[in-house]
Amino acid sequence: MITKRLGHPHLGLGLGLRTVHFDYILENQPNVDWFEVISENFMDSQGRPRYVLERIAERYPVVMHGVSLSIGSADPLNFEYLDKLKGLARDIKPLWISDHVCWTGVAGRNTHDLLPMPLTELSLKHVVERIRTVQDFLERPLVLENPSTYVGFTGSTLSEWEFIARMAEEVNCGLLLDVNNVYVSSVNHDFDPEEFIRSVPHERVVQFHLAGHTNRQTHLIDTHDNHVIDPVWKLYGLAHRLTGGVSTLLEWDARIPPFPVLHAEVLKAKQHMGEELADTRMAAANGEQATAAMGVSEGDLAVPHPLHHIAAEVL
Amino acid sequence: MNAHRVPPEEVSRVQRWFQAVITHPDGVQAGADSDAAKRLMHLPPGQLEKVITRSRALSAAERVAIYANAYHTRLLECLGEVYPMLKRTLGEEAFDGFAFGYLQEYPSRSYTLNELGRHFPRYLQETRPSPGPDESDSALADSAGEEPAFAQDWPDFFIDLARLEWAIYEVFDGPGVEGKPLLVAGQLLCISPHRWAQARLHPASCLQLLSARFPVNDYYTAMRRAKDDKPVPIPSLCESFVALTRRDYIVRRYNLSRIEFELLHAIKEGQTIGEAVERAAMTGNAEVEQLAADLKLWFRNWTAEGFFQSVEMRQ
Repeated sequence: MITKRLGHPHLGLGLGLRTVHFDYILENQPNVDWFEVISENFMDSQGRPRYVLERIAERYPVVMHGVSLSIGSADPLNFEYLDKLKGLARDIKPLWISDHVCWTGVAGRNTHDLLPMPLTELSLKHVVERIRTVQDFLERPLVLENPSTYVGFTGSTLSEWEFIARMAEEVNCGLLLDVNNVYVSSVNHDFDPEEFIRSVPHERVVQFHLAGHTNRQTHLIDTHDNHVIDPVWKLYGLAHRLTGGVSTLLEWDARIPPFPVLHAEVLKAKQHMGEELADTRMAAANGEQATAAMGVSEGDLAVPHPLHHIAAEVL
Repeated sequence: MNAHRVPPEEVSRVQRWFQAVITHPDGVQAGADSDAAKRLMHLPPGQLEKVITRSRALSAAERVAIYANAYHTRLLECLGEVYPMLKRTLGEEAFDGFAFGYLQEYPSRSYTLNELGRHFPRYLQETRPSPGPDESDSALADSAGEEPAFAQDWPDFFIDLARLEWAIYEVFDGPGVEGKPLLVAGQLLCISPHRWAQARLHPASCLQLLSARFPVNDYYTAMRRAKDDKPVPIPSLCESFVALTRRDYIVRRYNLSRIEFELLHAIKEGQTIGEAVERAAMTGNAEVEQLAADLKLWFRNWTAEGFFQSVEMRQ
């Protein structure tokens, strides 16, 4: 018998913490349920990013989300990285630590992309062994996310949902179900996104991700630069019903709108939980107005999962 | 801890091959045809579909190209954020040309993007055209095309500007003195004149000094003030000296004279004030009386700006 969500709390509706919103959050203390932070942006910081994170972690529940664990890589695990990850967790006390089912580089290099795993038995065994090592080191279960992918390997013998489900069962880790990634990958790989959502072990889902993407007609790119589209909301509604509801987070990483627009976007999730709350509709409506004012549109630069690089503040 | 298990050969081979293909500077086909890729998987030309599946809408090569394009786009964008003024000065196309070459020579080997730009000034120095008619072998010369677009000493200006921007970047997120006591002028005034020369000042951990062949700090300021990103004329060759520090998490820049630079440099190296003044006086050819007056002013200003953390008196 598995404890639902690995025993983690349902944090409500949260947002990815981004540099452009630092001042707004510190000044306004918006009524957001929780924040997710990119671990790598803070683990080495001795300046303002770390200072801001500590202030935010005092006030809000925080979750650490990484992009460089490279759990599927053929390279040795980077224990210097893991040590810093653990140190950051010790300091800011996140509810959980997540990363992606992917590899980011090999032969000592880092592409800073979330690259797809060949979905084979050997590949699964490799990932499982590494997750065990990382979980032992961090002394906590990992929460792992399904990335958006754009290629499949002819040698793959498992579906992505089989791979993830077996992985999670074998290592007793949590899952971060990125509903937008399921949708993006379903278009790119011609599968039924509902089958994916129905097939993952729902009791292991600790968190959902929501985001916008770019439609290139022949494929979708996970750009995190726009509103969540209706088919993704529909999948979210399904995932919500199947899991009974878990912490939900909106990612918006390119052409980032003002904070209230983001907040309004994630609050729309309530409409897909069967709770038609008036205040949600109001917030969503305000968000639409703000979006129209800033002229958010389809992206020219379609870069998958844009990275969150922190620019220096200089006088 | 040696927790690394040998990865399945299949995982290692596929990952190394995929990385070789998507990071190749000449694109996916050239990547697949490269020796590095062929050593891992020998595919006849145009046979990517033996490894990568096609989708209903895209061929294997088109799908792999999504990763290849993203790799370069993402990292060029990141370098542009670390070197914003250099990018504006060179223009996007020329900057991206240098950055592209840089990524081939210095691909990321770190878990953090914060390290990505570290060697860029060095790369520009290494590829700087040698003065003279034959400039064909360098990245700086190549970018200028057949008709050199830059004056002959401008490469040094670009290198100096890159060094300043990297220093700013390091000071922004490196160790700082926020929340720590700083030396105040009153503490210096308490030192009796006959012991002054033996005093040793401990500089703030964020204090960095930079010497340049061009007045890059003034140029940087002019660029920041330029409305609508209007171009700023590249200054003439004229050595300059800059101190960088951080207060309240914001990077502060100060122009220095050569003698101030030498003095601070000696203090940073751990010399006593007496030794530092002696060294600076030798380089600056200063009149003794003028130097005595200047010293008073400089130390007052520097302590006011938080250049020092403490003073140590040797018994």
